[in-house]
Amino acid sequence: MKKRYQAIATLLALCLVGLQAARAGSPANDAPTATSARVTGVVKFEGIVPKAIHINMAADPSCARQHPNGAASEDIVADSSGGLENVFVFISDGLGDRAFDPPQKPAVIEQKGCMYEPHVVAMQAHQKLDVVNADSTTHNIHPLPNNNREWNKSQPPGLPIEETFPREEVAIPVKCNVHPWMRSYIAVFKHPYFAVTGKDGSFDLKDLPPGTYTLEAWHEKLGTAIQKVTIGPSETKTVQFVFKGRPGA
Amino acid sequence: MRIGRMGRIAAHALLLGMVAMASRPAHAIPAFARKYGLPCSACHEAWPKLNNFGQTFKDGGYQLNNDRDAPIYQNPSYWPIAMRITPNWHLEGNSRVTTDAVPGDPESGQVQSTINTHGFDLSGIDILTGGTLAKNISFLLVPSIEADTGTVSFESAWVRLDNLLQSPWLNFKFGKFELDVPISEKRILTLSTNGGFYQLYHFLPPGDVTPTSMGDNQLGIELLGHSPDDHTRYALSLLSSTDGELGLPGGRSYDGYIHVSHAFDLPSLGLQRVGAYGYVGQAPTFFLTTGGVPIPGSGRGNRSFYRAGAYVNFYAGSFDFTGIYQHASDNAFLANAQAADQTLPNGAQSPVWNTGTIEAHYTYSPQLVFIGRYELVRISRQALATTPGDFGNLDAVTVGYRYYPFMHSRAGLAWHQEVSSVRSKLTSDTGQDQRSTSVFMGFDFAF
Amino acid sequence: MKTGPNTLFLFTVMIATLTSGRAAAQNAGSGSGYPGPKDGLTDQEHRGQGLYRRYCVGCHGARGDGNGENAPYLDPKPRDFTQATFKCRSTPTGSLPLDSDLYDTISRGIHASGMPSWNPLTPEQRHELIAYIKTFSPRFREEQPGAPLPIPPEPPTSAESAKRGAELFQSMNCWSCHGKDGRGHGPSAMTLTDSKGYPITPFDLTSGTRFKCGASDRELFRDLMTGLDGTPMPSFADALKPDQIWDLVHYIQTIREGSKSASVENRTERKGN
Repeated sequence: MKKRYQAIATLLALCLVGLQAARAGSPANDAPTATSARVTGVVKFEGIVPKAIHINMAADPSCARQHPNGAASEDIVADSSGGLENVFVFISDGLGDRAFDPPQKPAVIEQKGCMYEPHVVAMQAHQKLDVVNADSTTHNIHPLPNNNREWNKSQPPGLPIEETFPREEVAIPVKCNVHPWMRSYIAVFKHPYFAVTGKDGSFDLKDLPPGTYTLEAWHEKLGTAIQKVTIGPSETKTVQFVFKGRPGA
Repeated sequence: MRIGRMGRIAAHALLLGMVAMASRPAHAIPAFARKYGLPCSACHEAWPKLNNFGQTFKDGGYQLNNDRDAPIYQNPSYWPIAMRITPNWHLEGNSRVTTDAVPGDPESGQVQSTINTHGFDLSGIDILTGGTLAKNISFLLVPSIEADTGTVSFESAWVRLDNLLQSPWLNFKFGKFELDVPISEKRILTLSTNGGFYQLYHFLPPGDVTPTSMGDNQLGIELLGHSPDDHTRYALSLLSSTDGELGLPGGRSYDGYIHVSHAFDLPSLGLQRVGAYGYVGQAPTFFLTTGGVPIPGSGRGNRSFYRAGAYVNFYAGSFDFTGIYQHASDNAFLANAQAADQTLPNGAQSPVWNTGTIEAHYTYSPQLVFIGRYELVRISRQALATTPGDFGNLDAVTVGYRYYPFMHSRAGLAWHQEVSSVRSKLTSDTGQDQRSTSVFMGFDFAF
Repeated sequence: MKTGPNTLFLFTVMIATLTSGRAAAQNAGSGSGYPGPKDGLTDQEHRGQGLYRRYCVGCHGARGDGNGENAPYLDPKPRDFTQATFKCRSTPTGSLPLDSDLYDTISRGIHASGMPSWNPLTPEQRHELIAYIKTFSPRFREEQPGAPLPIPPEPPTSAESAKRGAELFQSMNCWSCHGKDGRGHGPSAMTLTDSKGYPITPFDLTSGTRFKCGASDRELFRDLMTGLDGTPMPSFADALKPDQIWDLVHYIQTIREGSKSASVENRTERKGN
């Protein structure tokens, strides 16, 4: 008698598991699993790449000294084959309301030669951000968010600053008011599925749960491009984004 | 004798009415709202009545003291000018007016009639310019175009040195200005013939010819000071004895005015103010003459008069309430229109009277205010001992409301409705009470 | 004087007015506000809303976003309360202000801006306004203000301290905005914007006028610690030790006072000419 109940209970439990599995198709309730679904690709710039603007750092000699050949703005950086650097590529929709723990490893933004290194930073909400001043001059680091709190700190050489952003935001402009040519963007995501394109414009979003996603590319000057992508378990898809230069640019 | 006297009283009452209409409220200046970008309601409890923020602004020399007051900070196209006028419809009723039984025939005998009249009308136009000439130097200039004659008069014209020695306690004003009275007649919320002025400032016992009306703007100098929060205030004025009329005074004399008040904050009720004031003045009773014609400026036989009062101004949330008690007396020569080089008639004496003024407002919102006022005047000693004790006593009641359809910083508009009635004791030619009633409605606007 | 019954009448009216007024005291004080639907506001916030519409709406706007009807004509622009970013605080950069910080700002006004001192409002009214202003941003519901930064006692002013301050003025790059002479003409000055993108000029430290967030040494110390959020002025709380900040304060005060005597000299010179 008792055994029969146990059997029924087991059966019920199995049914529940089955239901659970059946619903896994909709990503809303899917826990992040280590499937190897993957979206890779490249962001291209079509057209004539505008000439980088020369930056005059004469106002702060300690900055100018580090660029004997002159410094150039990093507004639009593309390689000879049109690969566009410094583009955030990320999943903007399709993950439902899953929550993801922030990575332990902090994101880093460095002030080096009175420029930001890297030029743009992508990070997860609540992830630590290490702000490093590798220069011999004092900077101030001043993010200007809409959805996060604005702060503004003076940072003399060597002083470590650790901060964080609690809310998603693409992308927060960052300024150094002391050195007005310095400008960076920090993109904050509530999930780990984001990338910043490399020198060749390539990106790689790994370990995605299978599903249908809106994939977005965001560039500080060129704006936003969107694509839909559906990937099955262990599938790899290649996606290409194209930003067109303004006529005459 | 009796009738002649009554005629004088009637003429006086008429004059009083005209004065009241002519000296209608002046001070409400959209030019300031434009300058600072504040809505009217920031400074006006209900335009034109000030609230404490507006009073502090005014006392500070039309300055907010954020270093943006001086003209140099203004857009050059800004011109500190505003105008105010009130197109209106009004009704005036007067009871027990002595009337010839047959019109045009004074021999036909007299009856008592009630005369009612009504129609559309305009108030005068006030042109208000004011502000700062420089940091801590303020000014106000108000040319006023009279409604009946179209002539231009100078309602206000003064310059003020503000915050002398960097102290709010020292401000010096020079020119023609409104006295720092306990309740401003220039910011009165009622506009009708009977309700558009305060008996408090204008009442004189029947027959009295003293040329004074504290509510009207006066010529002179003023020293005004206040604590930084404007809670404690004082004003001292030295004035030409002309009752604000331009030209030199007839009797080479000066009047003095003093006003001290203190306010305190009662939590959940608001700011409460108590104060006291006094006015002492002189006026000539006769002039030197040439060929029987008075020589201007040769007034002689100066005789004195005084007004002294105390008041409270209570706030209770959206209600505010002002109560003023005033004690007044004029010299017997002035009160009996008798030259001081002549002898007084038998029984002539200095009249003494008291006024009580109660005014309450209910500010439903900055766009709707209800007004109620009751004023009473009781003569405790008549100018002639033989006159009945309550002869000339007044009871004046005024109720009304003002509705402001919008509230911006560029212009002000109010729909105004008001009823006012004054009863005077025993003043008809038959020795009965008289009643004078006004109904008033119109659009009061300033831009 | 036959005023017996009238005195009684007067008294009755007075009592009646006060009693009914007390009962209806929804907007206490000299300058009542608008009545309106409560829309989930507390009593205090609701009263603040009425007062806000009376006093503040012309610049800060009905939605609290700093877009009132007069905002286009104002420079600097009115504060956008929906951002919950405030210049004058006692709390660290990036954190919400204390109520007392907002109270001080409302009472003091912001010098050289369109914001006057609202001291003529009763303390109660100012607290009601603060309660309402905080409803414009969800941050006030979700976050706590930071702990106020401590202000240690001021060491005595000395030439050495001011000299150290002058060195810090150099090494902390204060000059890149405020200029080597403190006149606000540093190399970066022309590029500065506030966080909403409106141009903003660095404070002319020689002008001798009040600072935006108060004139005293302690307030200047506090401004250097907290930074003026929403502007390019950063916080030096991490960058400098309290003693160093006092040195900077002392140096800035010498710039201000030096300029005062200098301008007197200029005037005398001009007279001589």
